[in-house]
Amino acid sequence: MARKLKITVDLNVCVGNAMCETFATNTFALNDDRQSSVANPDGDTEDVVLEAAENCPVSAITVLDAETGEQLFP
Amino acid sequence: MVTAINDDLFSPEVVNNPYPYFSHLREEDPVHWNKLYELWVVSTYEDLVWVTRRPEFFSSEVWKRDPRSPYPAIDESDMGLYQEIRDFFSDWFIQHDRPEHLEMRKVVHGYFTPKAMELWRPMVLAAVKELMDEAQESGRMDVMNDFAVPLPLLVIARMMDMPNQDRKFIRSLAEKLLFLGRGETDRMQPLSDGIKGLQEYLSPIVAERIKNPGNDLLSVLANGEKTGIYSRDEVIANAILLLLAGHETTINLICNGTFAFMRHPAQWQSFTEDPAGRVVRATEECLRYDAPVRSIQRIASEDIELKGKAIHKDDRMRWFISSANRDSNMFPEPNKFDIARYPNPHVAFGSGIHHCLGSALARLEGQEALKALAERFAGLYLEIREDDGEFQPSITFRSIKSLPVSWR
Repeated sequence: MARKLKITVDLNVCVGNAMCETFATNTFALNDDRQSSVANPDGDTEDVVLEAAENCPVSAITVLDAETGEQLFP
Repeated sequence: MVTAINDDLFSPEVVNNPYPYFSHLREEDPVHWNKLYELWVVSTYEDLVWVTRRPEFFSSEVWKRDPRSPYPAIDESDMGLYQEIRDFFSDWFIQHDRPEHLEMRKVVHGYFTPKAMELWRPMVLAAVKELMDEAQESGRMDVMNDFAVPLPLLVIARMMDMPNQDRKFIRSLAEKLLFLGRGETDRMQPLSDGIKGLQEYLSPIVAERIKNPGNDLLSVLANGEKTGIYSRDEVIANAILLLLAGHETTINLICNGTFAFMRHPAQWQSFTEDPAGRVVRATEECLRYDAPVRSIQRIASEDIELKGKAIHKDDRMRWFISSANRDSNMFPEPNKFDIARYPNPHVAFGSGIHHCLGSALARLEGQEALKALAERFAGLYLEIREDDGEFQPSITFRSIKSLPVSWR
């Protein structure tokens, strides 16, 4: 059973580059302002979510272990 | 009734101090039809973000799609050259829309992530130290020629694994490419010379990297040919793009940032008291206050209304970073240079899917350069009067011609 992730996007930082959505298609979606939002935190595997977070050009994405609070990215 | 707006964006008034001009434009006519050059000038923060985040309405295929003749006009005899240049720039990945843009960008995107760029910090630090040592020895410097040009050029050349001794040659060709944002009627010839020179220089290197790839940026890009995303011509064109964008913009960040500090001694004083602690926000403020890139263009891909103006399909849309970054609806006291400003959501790197690929690298180099200046030369001062700062007559790049400084 894969662990649950808590994924947050800092909207003060997000520029709508949409790379998160490209890498983790089932997790992220752009909102009406064309910024990233977490549509489904269980949408993709942990590896895929971490890859998406790493590819954010402005480091707007934080990924935590939902249960323990351990920071997985950055 | 709209008061008269000077449509000559290349006039010395607009080139040297664009900020009062754009402040007036934002108030009077935020989406302004510039009759002289037949283009829409988008000047507010809100509209810039709206346009850049809607690539479905505003195409990046500017060179390919623009149905109008070049602006300002070029010599009639250069129309053939213009067509060749047009074909060349159309190969740049930034001159594409989705889905091609995404496929092309992805080839190099992973190379430039903030985490990947962080690994280059020690190398950048060492390069900065070397240049600072040289400056210290001579007792003065031109920040432009002695620091801001050599640093990013060295870094991008290292990333691409180019021979060190080729840097001067590369720069001399890259300087010709800067004519792409200029207004001279005979600008096509230097542009064409720059393109051809760099194509000739890069062709054999790219061929070699395809045969024997390394882990350098050029090999990463060339791999896009193997995966069928780029043609050989496109690999070479985009290598030229990365080479140019990889240093010209950072040159301007270092110079414009230093120039801003020199005109605001209290902010410089504050910075020198804690360079390491204040450099991150200070660099962001330099990017906002006098952004390296002035403006970027799109082409409307359908009829659309913006701020009550009817934009027609194929109209040129030019959005001005230097205007949006001084918009009082976004930034309190926008004309104040405040290195502690936070939050600072400036648009120096644009926004949306075309947001600057190299932003993490630019930030890294800008931070290390400004920090080193403050650490080494707290008594830095301008050798020219601040009103004598002269900028290149470009609507794309905000480039000062020289920046002579000394220190006490």
